[in-house]
Amino acid sequence: MLLLKWIVALLVPLAVFTFVWSGEPIVNNVILGLIFGQQTAYASSLLLPAALFILLFYATILVLVGYLVAADSGQQGMLSLWIDILFFVLLPLLLVTANGLILGLALSVLVWALYIFVRNRIRQARNYVPPLPLAALNVLSPEQRSALLNRATSAGFWFATIFALLSLLVDLSYYATGTLPDVLLIWAIVRTILLPIVGYLLGQLGGRFALRYTLAPKANGNGNGRRKGANVDKKTQLESLSVARVKEEAKDFVPNDRPLRSAGAQRFYVLLLLAFLLFYPFIDRFLFGSGTDARLSGYGDAGYYVILALGLNIVVGFAGLLDLGYVAFFAIGAYTWGLIGSPQLTVLTGLHPDPQLLSGLFWPILFLAAFLTAGFGVLLGTPTLRLRGDYLAIVTLGFGEIVPLFFLQLPAYTNGTNGLIAVRSPAFPGVDWSTFTPIPYYYLILAMIALVIFANVRLRDSRIGRAWIALREDEIAAASSGINLVNTKLLAFAAGAFFSGLAGVYHAAKLGGVSPDNFSFGDSVIYLAMVVIGGLGSIPGVIVGALGVYAINQFVIAQLDTFASDPTSFLYPIRAAIVHVVPGFTFGNIRGLIFGVLLVSFMIFRPEGILPSSRRRRELHGVANEEEVVEVGALDAPPGSPGFESDVRVE
Amino acid sequence: MAMHSVQSPDNLDGTTTAPLLELSGVTKIFGGLVAVQGVNLQVPPHQIVSVIGPNGAGKTTVFNLITGIYRPSSGDIRLAGSSIVGLNPDQVLRRGIARTFQNIRLFNNMTVLENVLVGQHSQLRAGVLGSLLRTPGIVREEADARTRAIELLSFFGPALVARQDEYVINLSYADRRRVEIARALAARPKLLLLDEPTAGMNEAETLEAARYVRRLRDELQLTILLIEHKLSVTMGLSDTIAVLDYGQKIAEGPPEVIQRDERVIAAYLGKAPASQNQDAPE
Repeated sequence: MLLLKWIVALLVPLAVFTFVWSGEPIVNNVILGLIFGQQTAYASSLLLPAALFILLFYATILVLVGYLVAADSGQQGMLSLWIDILFFVLLPLLLVTANGLILGLALSVLVWALYIFVRNRIRQARNYVPPLPLAALNVLSPEQRSALLNRATSAGFWFATIFALLSLLVDLSYYATGTLPDVLLIWAIVRTILLPIVGYLLGQLGGRFALRYTLAPKANGNGNGRRKGANVDKKTQLESLSVARVKEEAKDFVPNDRPLRSAGAQRFYVLLLLAFLLFYPFIDRFLFGSGTDARLSGYGDAGYYVILALGLNIVVGFAGLLDLGYVAFFAIGAYTWGLIGSPQLTVLTGLHPDPQLLSGLFWPILFLAAFLTAGFGVLLGTPTLRLRGDYLAIVTLGFGEIVPLFFLQLPAYTNGTNGLIAVRSPAFPGVDWSTFTPIPYYYLILAMIALVIFANVRLRDSRIGRAWIALREDEIAAASSGINLVNTKLLAFAAGAFFSGLAGVYHAAKLGGVSPDNFSFGDSVIYLAMVVIGGLGSIPGVIVGALGVYAINQFVIAQLDTFASDPTSFLYPIRAAIVHVVPGFTFGNIRGLIFGVLLVSFMIFRPEGILPSSRRRRELHGVANEEEVVEVGALDAPPGSPGFESDVRVE
Repeated sequence: MAMHSVQSPDNLDGTTTAPLLELSGVTKIFGGLVAVQGVNLQVPPHQIVSVIGPNGAGKTTVFNLITGIYRPSSGDIRLAGSSIVGLNPDQVLRRGIARTFQNIRLFNNMTVLENVLVGQHSQLRAGVLGSLLRTPGIVREEADARTRAIELLSFFGPALVARQDEYVINLSYADRRRVEIARALAARPKLLLLDEPTAGMNEAETLEAARYVRRLRDELQLTILLIEHKLSVTMGLSDTIAVLDYGQKIAEGPPEVIQRDERVIAAYLGKAPASQNQDAPE
């Protein structure tokens, strides 16, 4: 029954992807183009990466089947799993197919929110109690282990076989109607023979992978019977850990009742996501048809928002310093490259460097500009050191206004309102950076995002990260624990400004120009909204928040108008009705209103953000306390007396 | 009335030990309010000195003055001979004075272990570059810090160690006090300032707290300055007691002497007839 459960669960989405969307076309074109050397609608430079992606994709799915079947303890029902897969995988797949990536994902998010809400209500009504994590965990005997492996292997085999037969049927039906080239029939037959074998092997691989995560007896040289206890030790070890930690660790051991959430499964998701991101420029044409370049350029722009949000997350999320003028650092970064990497350099210094040389210097200047911006971060931070909360926010807001004005009011140096043009792109051997092909910028921003995420995670989990969080929680206690408040705050500003500078340089290079009206207070607010909606202090949350807010601002609201112009859509009569009352109405006009309503709704219903850090969720929704709760301050001396601690200021 | 100030205690071999902490004429004025006036205090090393007095007497203010949260309006504070007036709280900590707070200031959105790790901030050296690169030295430092944090928690028994990954707001009041003390110990202080460590505790918990305060002095070789309201605790625990009232020190001496001091009794009970020799008020 386990086999049936997972095979159906994974087969249906895979079939939809292959036959309804673009899985089959990709494979067919790759086979025709690369193996049989025929002319296809797609350039061969596109086909090779696409082939790699498809290979990786299907192989991963097959291994995943083996893993999941081995990892499941069988406690979760078939139906509940299928319904979950339906809402979380199948529906988004169909929505993205029909509406494009951005709109499809946006609609999916709505569906997910609704589904989770309804599901929780149903569970509450039925007094659903999730099973204890340790209950399902057991030490596995060697027989049990080989049974798991067999299960995984046969799952892989049957999954591949059924899929192969299904594909064969589809291809035969196409062949019967004459739309399938003969050569592809050869491929279909080869595939039907090969797939079960591959499935067998990859399923076994998945099973072996799952066995890495089980509680296993360790093979130990000294003493035969004695070491059987080693595996039990781990279990008792888990039992003696705090309840909070047990849930975390037990989640990763298999078999458990939620294998989709285990650490092993997560590796697969990361792999699939990385493959998708890396190969996206090449498979976009297959997935979404025309308009690839525009989309890629859009992603390049969305990318620097992610970096900005991650930088602001350090200042506001980790260290708790409300910064309302973050756009200032962005402007500094942009103008740095704008002044150096454009003809303005000649105006400023009289040098006439070779433009190619300038482009080559992009890379060192990228980091130098970031450090320069970090220096300005320290400069801004210094007057705010003694300020708290609201006052700090006002000063940062002021700075956010001053810097763009500064650039505006020095036309001799910065070309004032006309801005800077002809800003150079970077140079990388063998790569064409002209704006006609946005692919290099796409990979550049991916690399930059990867670096920024890496740096953020390292900082968060270090001594400095702890100091920032302590600073946010309680300044006095932090100081009394040895944290130098000045240095820690300035470091937070500097780190945030550093990433902002990186984003600024990228933006200037990609846009090819810098203008002072690109940097306004409204932008600072958008960055803040990204961080707060995503989840203050949570790195994945902030990334999702940045992409989400950008998508809503740029695409979704604009798409509403296109959608409403279509007489067949449900928005058409609605808009017609509104236009009766308010002539000249378009959704684009009320973009600000829609965005504002969204923000307010978020703050009311989910203030902790989309993907909150566990701390924040606890902070905003309270904790079920089994122990006594003592209000902080219960023993305070009465206000006004010298012992009134809440009034202390560090002098 | 002449202030009876304690001389540096004589050791058994006749030598005197220099005080670890010395307050001389410390005064703090807030606007028009004189919170602390002319307080002289000497804390000899490896002793438990208690500061007692009615509410509003200025005890916590004295703590805040010592740890640098306030700056004295006049007077001097010396730790092992060198002045610490004007230092920031983090600098005072690095000199060797750690403290706990009257109303427990833990980092609520961090776990028990993380709170104690923050306490080790001054003992660790990881900087931005080291944290980014995670050099072997830094990795080892973090691992050692974690081990040390667990050791500190185990001073109070195995219970807190088992709960090291829980958020501190989930803990009982007594446990939160212990975590705060562990966090203070993490900085390897020479002098520990405990502000009402038994506040809010029942008799059993108070007894246990008094026991571990004594263990702090005996096992960890700490000097302890204690603010305490429960006189039973103070009398049993302290080597010396200093009594404050309205910002001034009105008495100082060993527990037996303080118990019978008229000014102390008057301060706690108001101006009562001094004829009866009653036990110190609870």
